Amino acid sequence: MNLNPEFQRQLYLEYSEARLIGVPLVLWVVFSIGYFIDDHQLSDATARIALITYLLITLLWGARQTMDSILDEYREHTWDTQRMSALHPWELVWGKLFGSTAMVWYAGSICLLVYSLADEQAVTQPMLLIYCIAIALLAQSTSLLLALIMAQRNQYKSSSILMLALIGYLFAYKFTDISLFSTGRPIHLPNYTNQNWYGLSINAESFQQLSLVFTLFWSYVGNYRLMAQALGIRTRPWVWLVFLIFLIVYFGGLAPASSYYVALAGYAVCGVLTYIGLLAEPADVLRLKHLLDALQQKNWPRLAEETPIWVLSFLSAIPFALHLELSNHPIADLISLFHFFPVAILLLLLRDCALYLFFSFGGNPQRALTLTLLSAGLLYGIIPGILSFTGLAWLSALVFPLWADSADAAIICALLQTSFVLMLLYQRWRKKI
Amino acid sequence: MITVDKLVFEYPGLRALDNVSFHIPAGSITALVGPNGAGKTTLLRCLAALDQPISGSISIDGVDVLHHPRASHRLIGYLSDFFGLYQRLSVRQCLHYVARAQGIQQNACAAAISEVSRHLNITDRLEMRPGELSRGLRQRVAIAQAIIHQPRVVLLDEPASGLDPEARHDLETLFVTLQAQGMTLLVSSHILAELDAYCTDMLVLRNGRIVEQVNVRTQHNQQQTYKLVLAWPVADLATVLLAIPDIGILKIEDNQQALLQIPINPKLQHAVLKTLLALDLPICEFAPPAGNLQDAYLQTIKPKP
Repeated sequence: MNLNPEFQRQLYLEYSEARLIGVPLVLWVVFSIGYFIDDHQLSDATARIALITYLLITLLWGARQTMDSILDEYREHTWDTQRMSALHPWELVWGKLFGSTAMVWYAGSICLLVYSLADEQAVTQPMLLIYCIAIALLAQSTSLLLALIMAQRNQYKSSSILMLALIGYLFAYKFTDISLFSTGRPIHLPNYTNQNWYGLSINAESFQQLSLVFTLFWSYVGNYRLMAQALGIRTRPWVWLVFLIFLIVYFGGLAPASSYYVALAGYAVCGVLTYIGLLAEPADVLRLKHLLDALQQKNWPRLAEETPIWVLSFLSAIPFALHLELSNHPIADLISLFHFFPVAILLLLLRDCALYLFFSFGGNPQRALTLTLLSAGLLYGIIPGILSFTGLAWLSALVFPLWADSADAAIICALLQTSFVLMLLYQRWRKKI
Repeated sequence: MITVDKLVFEYPGLRALDNVSFHIPAGSITALVGPNGAGKTTLLRCLAALDQPISGSISIDGVDVLHHPRASHRLIGYLSDFFGLYQRLSVRQCLHYVARAQGIQQNACAAAISEVSRHLNITDRLEMRPGELSRGLRQRVAIAQAIIHQPRVVLLDEPASGLDPEARHDLETLFVTLQAQGMTLLVSSHILAELDAYCTDMLVLRNGRIVEQVNVRTQHNQQQTYKLVLAWPVADLATVLLAIPDIGILKIEDNQQALLQIPINPKLQHAVLKTLLALDLPICEFAPPAGNLQDAYLQTIKPKP
């Protein structure tokens, strides 16, 4: 049988007789605790322990395994061997995703089996199991995605696993109401009401299930695309654009039915994806040069390949910002102090991106994100706060334009800041190339 | 077999490959030489479709490497300077994985592993893990991984670094065997003496540019190199020699030794020798030198008088 070679290699690494025997033995000891708590029977405590053990195993160990399936290749200098292979990106993705977690799923399925035997709520059980499996798959897939991004940035530490596991657990809690701490409360699915989407009343549970399926789908698509890029396959950003449109349509439906709120959803999605896109791709000083060269040579396919995805997201946000700027704002004042000036916010978004690139092109690109977050803290909070506190409110608007009284003033302030940072960025870029 | 045209590759603030163009014929063993930082590794990585150049084209056996990197990988075997092996797998499992990843069917893997391990004398090490092997044996396993799918082109970056003389000799034999099987090899190395034993061509890279491409077996086309040694130094030897027609000067040392190029024509060679004697130069040796790659390399990188 011609197994996926990557899957087979991962199996070579994962399976051993000692592990096959050892894992059930350790789990048996763990479940015995529940058995004794439940007065020598399989009941609620055992079910809870089984489910929590399952989450710990699949979220912590599983996410760690998938992340290491990429990062180990870099650490051991074997990544070039994989890149030189004839394997399809998808083969590598699923081989790593399911091969590296084979033992995790072996242990996880024992936990789920014990849970099924101990849980007394037969009606909700199948759905809860499906949620648990989907959430674990999502955490592991996101972990692989994160590893591919980290590898692009030459960061090979697996420390972000804890964060992923925590997010996974929060997801699990949201979907299944599994609590680590509460006792005596049966594990159950939350009560669902109907969800309104573009005026359609959809069963909220079905909506949530579909959302989870789509999230899983897009995480696999993301993995595929990043793997293709890592293998040197030239890609154009169509998938990113489709993802962007999907999110706009998805979130647009959740807001009240009006063009304003759809535009607001589009604006928010493009804004968030601008930041995500910026962090997802390596900040390469030569990329802008290649982009400009392609533009000069009117080499459109190359231009599409070289355009960073954050630029696409940012450009997509412009029409939404203009639409919002020209509309009557139902949310003109966010809170009593701030105003909602869409174009000014867009300029601040560009400033933040330029700031991040400025630090990335500096002497220590590894610290670019930390320095950007620090600068954002100063620019969005500390400096305007101090200025406002000392009675210089007009000056604080210069630092944080959303404090300005009019949209024009906010745009001018934001424009000044953005131009200044872009100028700094240009000078650093010129020096680097 | 390999055609590179106007290849440009840049690192921030550095043009690592600057309009590099060359052609490597099928079945040759080409030495890729040049000083540190010349761009050898970058060139090999571009050829292996591991790094994307800014512009230019690379064709290997008719496949456009830059547009079809995955297709080209079936044609290429690549040994990186900093290669790694899967430490938790046995040598057999490593080879099996690479064989399968290169598209060899499951039922053909055993034969492929057997053949390549026989070639590289690692048959008795197949059940060991790479961590238990010496540097030389690990190098052989890495080469076995690079060639297990019988690639048309093999790119090797410093394959002999860290090997003892015996292992180097084995490597030479292997390269000649691979060439005999129809493979085209491009070998980057600093140790020119070792390349000399098996290379048919030499590609000299300096500051990201191809300085020269020579066929070291019949170098300089219709010219033959002669070594002239005098019993004692003669003042301004270069001027004296340049006055002789049909003669090219490659190198002069201390006005006492010279490497000359003379057309491969017995009558002309006789005439040159006659002229040299007529000049009353204190000749004590005039013969083709023991040709080696080191000489050829030095000839190409040194400014000519």
